Amino acid sequence: MDCLLEKGQEVSGHMDDQPVMLFRDVSKVYPLPAGDVVALDGVSFRVDRGEFISIMGPSGSGKSTLLNLMGCLDTPTGGDIFISGCRTKEMSDVDLTNLRRDRIGFIFQYFNLFPLLNIIENVTFPMMLKSQKAVNPERGKEVLRSVQLEEKLFTHTPTELSGGQQQRVAIARALINDPDILLCDEPTGNLDSKTGTGIMELMTELNRKGTTIIMVTHDPHIAEYSARTIRIADGRIVE
Amino acid sequence: MIFWEIAKRNVKIHMLRSFLAMLGIVIGVVAISTMGILGNSMVLAVSDSLKSVGDSVIVTPHVGGSGGVFGGGGGSAANLKISEQQFQQIKRTSAPNVAIPILQTSDRMKFGVGKDDIVAAIYGINPDDVPDLLKLQEGGYSRGDSGCLVGSQFAVDNNVKVGSRISIGTDGNLGTLRVTGIIEERGMAFDVSTDSAIVVTKNWFDAAYNRDDYDKVVVKVNDLDSLETVKTSIEKQMNKRDKIVDVMDTRKTMETIFQTFGQITTFVSAIGGISMIVAGVSILNIMMMSVTERIKEIGIMRSIGSQRKEVMGMFLYEALILGVVGSFIGGAMSLLGGYAISSLMLKTTKYLFVPSSLVSIVYGVSFGIVICLICGIYPAWRAAHLSPIDALRHE
Repeated sequence: MDCLLEKGQEVSGHMDDQPVMLFRDVSKVYPLPAGDVVALDGVSFRVDRGEFISIMGPSGSGKSTLLNLMGCLDTPTGGDIFISGCRTKEMSDVDLTNLRRDRIGFIFQYFNLFPLLNIIENVTFPMMLKSQKAVNPERGKEVLRSVQLEEKLFTHTPTELSGGQQQRVAIARALINDPDILLCDEPTGNLDSKTGTGIMELMTELNRKGTTIIMVTHDPHIAEYSARTIRIADGRIVE
Repeated sequence: MIFWEIAKRNVKIHMLRSFLAMLGIVIGVVAISTMGILGNSMVLAVSDSLKSVGDSVIVTPHVGGSGGVFGGGGGSAANLKISEQQFQQIKRTSAPNVAIPILQTSDRMKFGVGKDDIVAAIYGINPDDVPDLLKLQEGGYSRGDSGCLVGSQFAVDNNVKVGSRISIGTDGNLGTLRVTGIIEERGMAFDVSTDSAIVVTKNWFDAAYNRDDYDKVVVKVNDLDSLETVKTSIEKQMNKRDKIVDVMDTRKTMETIFQTFGQITTFVSAIGGISMIVAGVSILNIMMMSVTERIKEIGIMRSIGSQRKEVMGMFLYEALILGVVGSFIGGAMSLLGGYAISSLMLKTTKYLFVPSSLVSIVYGVSFGIVICLICGIYPAWRAAHLSPIDALRHE
């Protein structure tokens, strides 16, 4: 189903009867002087609402390319991608950006918080992008509480927080606009095992409450938290 | 908006770098504004000096022609004079405006016993015409031939007061005159420059120097709009066959002078503008540094839903902050600079707080802000058009 958006228009509402993400024969080829590099070759899969999926594979297998395509940061060479019912292939940069803002939450390995903003401002940043005005910090506090961050840290800057605390803030930021999908790139890759376990328990809890999570990881123990694992090798889904 | 807040904080967190960038803008604004203030003040000062003669047509013997018409064909400029008959012709032509014949020379003069001689200009003017031409700051106009007027600078330089006596000629051989009045300062003038001169009666001058002709004629025109007409009438009347007089419309000359001053001001301000361009390049450089340092941050912003125009706006805000703060500091410092340079070069600051001078500051400040914004456009555009994937991967 096409979801052609006008500039600045919000993405249309949830449609529970359709997959939250659908890849149909997607390929991605990088043309290089030495010859084309096929990063993804005919990848098809679907993600239903409320799923918790791990994507695993060796380095160079196409995981990052897949994550970029799922996050609408890149466009496929062939095939179709549908996110929340929207066909991404013919979308403008403005519409793709709106889709990322409204439907997708990103969680990065290195947290990627804004050092110039305090915790509340970091969390409410996507909300401000959406509303185009100052927002009520209460919503940010509420989400921060839901990821079990101590209230006294809300006005601190990211550099004053531990890795685990920063990742909780990053999760809160990803959740603030109530996205359809959480895309996680090695969310525990930069944390010690105990803190990583805490983060994974939090994500499991979020999934239990209905959040769809797609997580790229190298770690089989972390992948065990997910209900389904997609294995990828040489640009193809192998399992 | 959050992007404005981020821009503000980024300027603040890199205080030294921001300060150095602003310093360039401050210098640029000060250079442009101060030069503008100085140029305008000079125009106003000259205008003040010349405005008393802006209503005159000045007739002088033609220099560089065939000679012989005046003064018997000597050909030397010094010998060229206007005869009584020619003066009468000029007077008739320019009526009802007042035509004032002027005699002019320079001679030795002395003030009291034991003092050294000095050499100064002497003007001979009919006493009836003097009030039309000169205003006094002290004393009264001389009625008899034994009195004279002195210029304000002459009075200061030689400690001459009303009532002082001046002996004219070598060892006072031409006689002694009593100072009856001190003439108001006139500055540069096209007709008579009396500030460092003395003014005697025409009769005394004729007798002392054996003259029956004139060096120039000043026509004081009542209606300024008729200056050109009076000038043309005199030229037509006097230069029918040969060019025997040069006729100068002082207002036109003043306009030319002001135009030249305006061009000089523009040129000097343009030199100041070069420093602004250099400051702009520094802003460009700093903004590029800022973009390069924050590529990852830009990638994160784009990935979580910031539009290109919002990223671009954030960097333009930063350039705007540098430009506005730097330009306003520069504007304030321009006032101080204008004050200092006016005091030093013009010995007065009365031309500083006039709209035509202050507008130079407005121009300088506006130019500073515009330059900063222009120099911020490319870095901002570059930031906005970074690929989110490449930006996210950047370390």
